[in-house]
Amino acid sequence: MNDLTLIRKSLFRKKTRAILLILSIMTAFLIFGALASIDRVLNSSEELSRADRLVTVNKINFTQTMPYAYWGRVGAVEGVQAVTHASWFGGYYQDIRNFVQAFAVDVDTYLEVYPELVMPADQRAALSERRDCVAVGADLAEQYGWAVGDRFPLSSNIWRQADGSSAWDVEVCAIMTIPDQELPTNYLLMQYDYYNEALAFNRDQIGWMILLTGDPANNDAVSERIDTLFANSPAETETTTEAAFSQAFVEQLGNIGLILSLVVGAAFATILMIVGTTMVMAINERTKEVGVMKTLGFSSSRIFTHVLSESVLLSLVGGLLGLGAAVLLLGGIAEVAGGQLPGLGVGRETWIQALGLMLAFGLLTGFVPAVNAMRLKIVEALGKD
Amino acid sequence: MISQISAVTSINLRSIPQRWGMSLATILSIALVVGVLLGFLAMANGFRATVSGTGSESIAVLLRSGSQAELNSGFGRDTVRLIETAPGVARDEDGAAILSAELYVITDATKRSTGNDASLSLRGVDDMAPRLRENFELVEGRMFAEGSNEIVVGEGVLREFSGFELNSTIRMGPNEWRVVGVFSTGGSVFDSEIWADIGTVQNLYQRGASYQSIRVQLDGETGLTELQDYAENEPRLDLDITTEKEFFAQSAGGLSNLIMYLGWPLAIIMAVGALAGAWNAMYASVDSRVREIATLRTLGFSGFAAFVGTLVESLLLAFIGGLVGALITYFVFDGVSASTMGGSFTQVVFSFAVTIQSVISGVVLALIVGLFGGFFPALRASRVPLLEVHG
Amino acid sequence: MTDVLYELTDLSKKYTRGKESVAIFEDLTMTINRGDFIAIMGPSGSGKTTLLNLLGGIDKPSGGQVVCNGLRIDNLSQAKLAKWRSSHVGFIFQFYNLMPTLTAAQNVELPLLLTKLSSKERKRRVQTAMEVVKLAERAKHRPRQLSGGQQQRVAIARALVADPDVLLCDEPTGDLDRATADEILETLQLLNSELGKTIVMVTHDPAAAKYARRELHLDKGRFVETGAMA
Ligand SMILES: Nc1ncnc2c1ncn2[C@@H]1O[C@H](COP(=O)(O)OP(=O)(O)OP(=O)(O)O)[C@@H](O)[C@H]1O
Ligand SMILES: [Mg+2]
Repeated sequence: MNDLTLIRKSLFRKKTRAILLILSIMTAFLIFGALASIDRVLNSSEELSRADRLVTVNKINFTQTMPYAYWGRVGAVEGVQAVTHASWFGGYYQDIRNFVQAFAVDVDTYLEVYPELVMPADQRAALSERRDCVAVGADLAEQYGWAVGDRFPLSSNIWRQADGSSAWDVEVCAIMTIPDQELPTNYLLMQYDYYNEALAFNRDQIGWMILLTGDPANNDAVSERIDTLFANSPAETETTTEAAFSQAFVEQLGNIGLILSLVVGAAFATILMIVGTTMVMAINERTKEVGVMKTLGFSSSRIFTHVLSESVLLSLVGGLLGLGAAVLLLGGIAEVAGGQLPGLGVGRETWIQALGLMLAFGLLTGFVPAVNAMRLKIVEALGKD
Repeated sequence: MISQISAVTSINLRSIPQRWGMSLATILSIALVVGVLLGFLAMANGFRATVSGTGSESIAVLLRSGSQAELNSGFGRDTVRLIETAPGVARDEDGAAILSAELYVITDATKRSTGNDASLSLRGVDDMAPRLRENFELVEGRMFAEGSNEIVVGEGVLREFSGFELNSTIRMGPNEWRVVGVFSTGGSVFDSEIWADIGTVQNLYQRGASYQSIRVQLDGETGLTELQDYAENEPRLDLDITTEKEFFAQSAGGLSNLIMYLGWPLAIIMAVGALAGAWNAMYASVDSRVREIATLRTLGFSGFAAFVGTLVESLLLAFIGGLVGALITYFVFDGVSASTMGGSFTQVVFSFAVTIQSVISGVVLALIVGLFGGFFPALRASRVPLLEVHG
Repeated sequence: MTDVLYELTDLSKKYTRGKESVAIFEDLTMTINRGDFIAIMGPSGSGKTTLLNLLGGIDKPSGGQVVCNGLRIDNLSQAKLAKWRSSHVGFIFQFYNLMPTLTAAQNVELPLLLTKLSSKERKRRVQTAMEVVKLAERAKHRPRQLSGGQQQRVAIARALVADPDVLLCDEPTGDLDRATADEILETLQLLNSELGKTIVMVTHDPAAAKYARRELHLDKGRFVETGAMA
C-alpha cells in the first residue's frame, strides 16, 4: 500500500458516483477532442503553407481572374524564385453533386512551387507527355476509386468549350501524395493549355499565382513589387503569404474558432460545476476520516495533496477515456466520409493541450475541497458524528 | 395514493435548499446544455430564414444550365432578348416583360467585427431589379443614376461592413464608388448585397454585354411550366429555370444542415455529461434522506410514493435548468447579427432567431435529462430498507 | 523507577461562547510516568476528552505547558505536531474510526506510510501488530465485515504499529458489551504489562477502570486520585 492506494480507494469509494463523474468528464473531453480536430482540419491549409510562399490574387476578389501574361511578368520580378499559376475549374464527376476540387495549372512550375507534392518518377514523366493527363491526390483518388490509366470526362459548372460541351476528357496519369504529413491531398491538377484552348469564353485568363521568395524576409518587398507592377491596370493584384490567404478564406465562414471555443467552454463549465460540487460533497462526507488521518500524524499538506491528486486522477481517467472516444468517433466519421475529410483525427498538439486541460481541470475541481480538508481542525472533525 | 405522493414530493422539494450546491450545479449544467443547443438552432434558423425565407413562388431565377450558382453562370444579350418575349413571363400595363437581367461580381470589403476583408456580392442591375424583390424598400437616400459610379447597399452590408455609410466614397479594387442609398428587402439575402448600374459594372469588370442571371415575374400559376417548356424547346437557350423559393432553399441547405447536424450531437453529448451530474445530485438527495424515507415507509407510505417524489424533484430541477437556458439564450442570442459565407463564397448577413419550437426542443431535452438522471436514484429511494429507520 | 513521560504545568483550557468564557480546567498540574496505565473518570462534560486531546497534541491549551519526553508540545507548529504524533502517540476512539474503504491490514499499515520503512518491513510490522491483537486471520476484511470488538482490535493494532510512547484511549469500550469490553481491556493491560506501553484511558465504566494501575477522577477541573492497583 502507498499513498496512491489511499487516493484510488477514496476516489472509488462510491462506485456509481465515481463512474458518473468520469462519464461526465469524458463527454467534455470528447467534445474538446472532436472540435479541436475540426478546427485543425479547417486550418490545415495553414499547416501546409510555407513561410516563403506567396499568393497573388486579383485585388477585387480572389474569384476574379487576371491575364495570362501576368505570369511571365511576375517571373521577371526581382526576388521571385519560382512562380506558377492556377485556375479554378469548378469540377464535378458524372453527377453535379460529386464535387471535384480541380485546378488548371502549369504542371512543371506547379510542382516546383509545391515540392511537397510527390509522385513516382514514371508517372511524373507521363504527366508532361500528354496534355489530357491529370494528377490526382491520393485522398481524392480513393474517394472516387480512380487509378492510373482511368479515363473519364471531368465536367465544369463554370466553363464551356467552344462546342458547347462542359466536360473535358482526362486520363489519370499520376497519383500525388504528401509524405510525412497528415495533410489532405483531395484535389486534382489538370493542364492549363488543354483547358484554356478549348474555352468558349474567358480564354487566356488565370485565377491566381503562387510564388516562392526563398526567404520570408523578402516577402514584403516582393509582394510590394508585384502589386506595384500591376497598379492602375484593370486587374490590380494583391499579394499575401499563403498562410494569410487561407486564414482569410476560413475566416469568411465566420468566427468558427470563437463558436467552437464557446461550445468547449460551455461543456467544461458544465462538468466543472458538476465535478466541483460533487468533490466538495465527497470530501465533506469524509470529514471524520480526514480528522483521523491527521490524528495519526498525516500532515495537512499531505492531506491537501491527497485530495488534489484524487481530483486530478479522476480528471485524467475521464479525460483520457474521453479523448479515446474522440479518436474512435473521428475514425468512424472519416471512414463514413470516405476520402472527403482527410486529416480528421486527434493530433499530437490536441493531446498535449488535452493533458494540460485535464491537469488544470483536476486541480481546479480539487482545490476547494483540498483547502477545506487541509484547514480542517482535528477536534472539530472528530467531534462530528 | 395521490396524497401519499404529494406528501413525499413536498418533503423532497423542501429539502432542496439543504443541498443547494448540488441542486444549483444540476440546474446550471442543464441550462448550459440547453443553451448550446438553442444557440446552434438559433444560428441555423436565422441563417435559413434569411436565405430561404423570402424566396418567392412567383419569381423565377434563370441561370446557365449546370452552373448551380450565379457566380458560375453566364450568357449574352441574345438570351435576355429571347426571354423578354417568352411565354409565361408576366408583363406590365405597357406590355413590357417584368424581367431583370443581372450581373454578379464578388468584391472584398472590410468586416466590422474582425477588421478583415471578406467577400461581398456586387450586383449590376437596372431599374427593374427592385420590382423583382418582394418587400424592397429604399430606407435612405435614392437609387443610383444610370451609367454612374453610384451604389446602393443593403442594410446587412451597412450593419456588418465598414465604409458603406450613406454619401461616403468607397474603393473596391481599382474603382471608387459613391454610396447614394440604403435599401432593405426585409432581411433576405439581398440585404447583404451592393447594387450598382449594370452598364457600369459590365464596363469596369470587362464583362462586355454579358449577364449571369435573369429574374422574371411569372405569369400566373402555369407561368413556370410555360417558360420551362419554351426554354427546353428553343435551341438557342441553355438555361436552368427554378422558382426563387426553390433556388434559395437549395443554397440554404448545406450550411444550415451542417449547423443542425453539429448542434444536436454536441448538445446530446453534453446532455450525457449533465445527466451524470443530475444522477449524482439525485443520489446525494436520496442518501441524505434515507432515514426520513425509511421513517415514512414504516408509517405506511409506499415505495412508489418515494419513487415519484424523487423523480419529481429531478424533473423540477431539470425543468428549471431548461427554462433558464432558454431564457438566457433568448436574451443573449435572439436577433444578434452575424455573417457567414453563403453560396458563391460571398457573405450572407443574418440574425440569430430563437424560435418557440427550438425552445420546446430544449426544454424537452432538459426533461429527458431529468427523467433519466432521476430514475435510478428514485428506484433506490423506493427500495430503502425499513431498517434504515434506526439510522 | 519513576521515569516521567508527561509533565503538565499550570494547564488551562477555556472556551469562549459569545461574551462569556468557560474554563474547563485551570492551573492543572500533573505528571504521568512512563509505563503507567491511568484510567480517567468523571462526569460528562468534565473535560476528559479535552485532556486527552491536549496530551495527544491535537488541541492546544489556553495556558500552561505540556511536556512529553522532555519536549514541549503545546507550542509546536501544526506540521511539527503531526510528525510528532506519528511516532509518539497512538489514539484509540470509542467508535473505532477505521477507514471504511481499507482492509483491516491496510488500516493498520496506515501510520507506517508516515515512516521510511520498506514495504516488506511494513508488512512484517502489520503482521506482528495483528497478531498481538489476535486478528491475523481477519487481515483482508473490511471494517464493515468486522464486529465492534474486532474493529476496536484493529484500531488498537493501528495505534500500536508505529511503536508509540503512549496510547490515548477515549472510552475504548463505550460501545461494546461486557465480555467484548473485557477482552479489549485485557489486551490493553497486556500491552501495558508486557510491552511497557504507557496508557491513558478515559472511561465511564468503573469496571473498566479497574484494569488500570491508577484511577483519576476529574471533576470541576481538579483531579482526585480514587485508587490504585498494585
Ligand atoms: N469547541 C468547543 N466549544 C465550546 N465548548 C466546548 C467545545 N468542545 C468542548 N466544549 C465543552 O468542553 C467541555 C468538556 O468537553 P469534553 O468533550 O472534554 O467532555 P468529556 O468529559 O469528554 O465528556 P463526555 O464524558 O461526555 O465525553 C464540555 O462542557 C463541552 O461542552
Ligand atoms: Mg468525551
